[in-house]
Amino acid sequence: MSELALIIEDDEDLASIFAEALGGIGYEVEHVADGSLAQERLGSGTVPFLILLDMHLPHISGGDLLNTIKQDDRFEKAIVILTTADARMGDMYRDQADFVMIKPISFVQLRDIAARLKPKK
Amino acid sequence: MKEFLDRILTISTADPDDTRRRRILNILLVSVAILCVIAITISLGVVFLSITKWENTSLIVLGSIVTLVGVMIVYLINSFWSGRIAAIIFLVLLTVMFSFSDSPMEVSSGRSLFAFTIPIIMASMLLVPWASFVFSTLCSIIISIIAISIQTIPNTPAIIGFFLIALVAWLSARSLESALKELRTINANLDQVVIERTQALTQSLDRERIEAGRNQAILNSIADGVIVFDKKWNATMANPAITGMLGIPIELLINKSFHELIEHTRLAPQSRGLLYAMIEHDTQPVGFRIEWGEKTLSISAAQIYDNRKENNTNIGTVIVFRDFTREAEVEKLKSTFVAIISHELRTPLNAILGYAEMFKEAVYGPMNGKQVNMAERIMKNTQRLLGLINDLLDQAQMEAGKLTIHIAPLKPADLLESLHGLLDKSASDKRLRLTSEIDDDLPETLNGDAARLQQILVNLVNNSIKFTDQGEIRVKLLRTDDAKWGIEVEDTGQGIPASELPYIFDTFRQVEGATTRVHGGFGLGLAIVKQLLTLMSGDIEVESNVNAGTKFTITLPLVIP
Repeated sequence: MSELALIIEDDEDLASIFAEALGGIGYEVEHVADGSLAQERLGSGTVPFLILLDMHLPHISGGDLLNTIKQDDRFEKAIVILTTADARMGDMYRDQADFVMIKPISFVQLRDIAARLKPKK
Repeated sequence: MKEFLDRILTISTADPDDTRRRRILNILLVSVAILCVIAITISLGVVFLSITKWENTSLIVLGSIVTLVGVMIVYLINSFWSGRIAAIIFLVLLTVMFSFSDSPMEVSSGRSLFAFTIPIIMASMLLVPWASFVFSTLCSIIISIIAISIQTIPNTPAIIGFFLIALVAWLSARSLESALKELRTINANLDQVVIERTQALTQSLDRERIEAGRNQAILNSIADGVIVFDKKWNATMANPAITGMLGIPIELLINKSFHELIEHTRLAPQSRGLLYAMIEHDTQPVGFRIEWGEKTLSISAAQIYDNRKENNTNIGTVIVFRDFTREAEVEKLKSTFVAIISHELRTPLNAILGYAEMFKEAVYGPMNGKQVNMAERIMKNTQRLLGLINDLLDQAQMEAGKLTIHIAPLKPADLLESLHGLLDKSASDKRLRLTSEIDDDLPETLNGDAARLQQILVNLVNNSIKFTDQGEIRVKLLRTDDAKWGIEVEDTGQGIPASELPYIFDTFRQVEGATTRVHGGFGLGLAIVKQLLTLMSGDIEVESNVNAGTKFTITLPLVIP
């Protein structure tokens, strides 16, 4: 069974590029395009191995979602990669996430990082 | 007593000589009157004490009373009619009195002759200088008549003596009069000078008043608020415009100290520090902003020097307040606009970049060389566009004062490593060598803003790659002294003309000429570098020779965590 990567990103093009990068190296990819939908998704269902979380989302912000993730024991082992266009915001949350990637995010860079994170079988 | 004497002795007339003569006559009259009173008193006294009989003194008493009456009449004539007539009457009476005061023998050529000198001398003083000759003639006639009447020869030496005395009296009276006349002329001139000076002073005071009024009118009609502070920072002047800005009436503002203003509740706390710093460091800032209630005010301060005094003494400070509320709002809108636009531009550019990368990485199947090359070009141009947007965003943030520096421990070696990661390819694409070294003295870890230093380094090296066609770009991190460390970026590129060197750190400026078209861009890079370094308390210098290369040297404060 392959690892689940949850992409929370409101821009469809970026989401599709991220999905391609992660899917290409064997992740099972799930995409949510909105803050409140993401909140709902995080509340139930399979716990993702990797969460790619955009900080700038409609309805519920990435920061709030990050708090939800941090407070829920189910996500203890989940790897969180924050994506943001704002370098300052990235700095603010650097301690709470496993990785912070500042947009523009390179397809290759994301692919390589995610590949390294994958447990060796 | 003195006033009383002045009043009875002085007669004011238009002619000062007349006044003087009449005053002298009055003095003489009063003296004679006093003598008469004394004579009457003594005569009556000795009769009363039975020292002598009334028959012996009656003549003296009666004579004195008659003299007293005569004196009174002459005094009245002198005071209310004519000084000249009074003087003539007085002198004639005196002469007549002397003529009968002794035996005819004594009067004509004996002991009483000297008495006639008195009217002769007085005539020159009381009438006109030459009157002494008239009276010497009169006296000569009198003694001659008396001498003939007693059948003696008139006393020629006495007559000659009278004329000699008259001559002396005439000369002295004349010189006295001319001296007085000169004195009066001098006085008159002096008076004229005083009048002229007074007029000039009045005129200059008027002018000053008009000038001051005009200055106040100018001050009143200025749209900017103006407060003038004295040396001790107390407000001494203010104009109506400031009332509207601060909401404090002028009369309350005057005499208020600057400290009171700074502590005013309407002033935003963050503005206080700026104003205190201005006083403490004695700086004369131009156009810094303060928040006063709902308003944004721009402040410019200038010290006032009195150039009339030596050393141009500082006599206070004038502070000009300009209402900047509207401009500040526009600026804020502008920077928000730029921030939003930049963010919104970055997302689609990220998508373009991502898709281009996917082409290049052959995600959807193999690509031929030309296709890969095209994908690379798309990526490169997108990166350039992103770089420009980043610059614009940084500039907007800096202008809005929003860009802050985050100091944290960093490893200088990491800076170089990611620099190579980012720019090795660009360098090698142009067949340039990108080399780097770290000074042994530089600590392994030091405090700094890694992201911003990275940005600065990338910016400088990118520039060097852009403007270098062959050779190398050398980056060196070094410790300059105990308190500073530095970054050197040196290239073998086309260099910067000396005339352009002073402007290369200005916002929106590129070296004039073909470079603009060859390399494009907004010319924000170096301006941002400079501003970032200023925020970090660092500095940047440049040396360059055309066609030989350029060297940027950055110095930064060294803080070891």
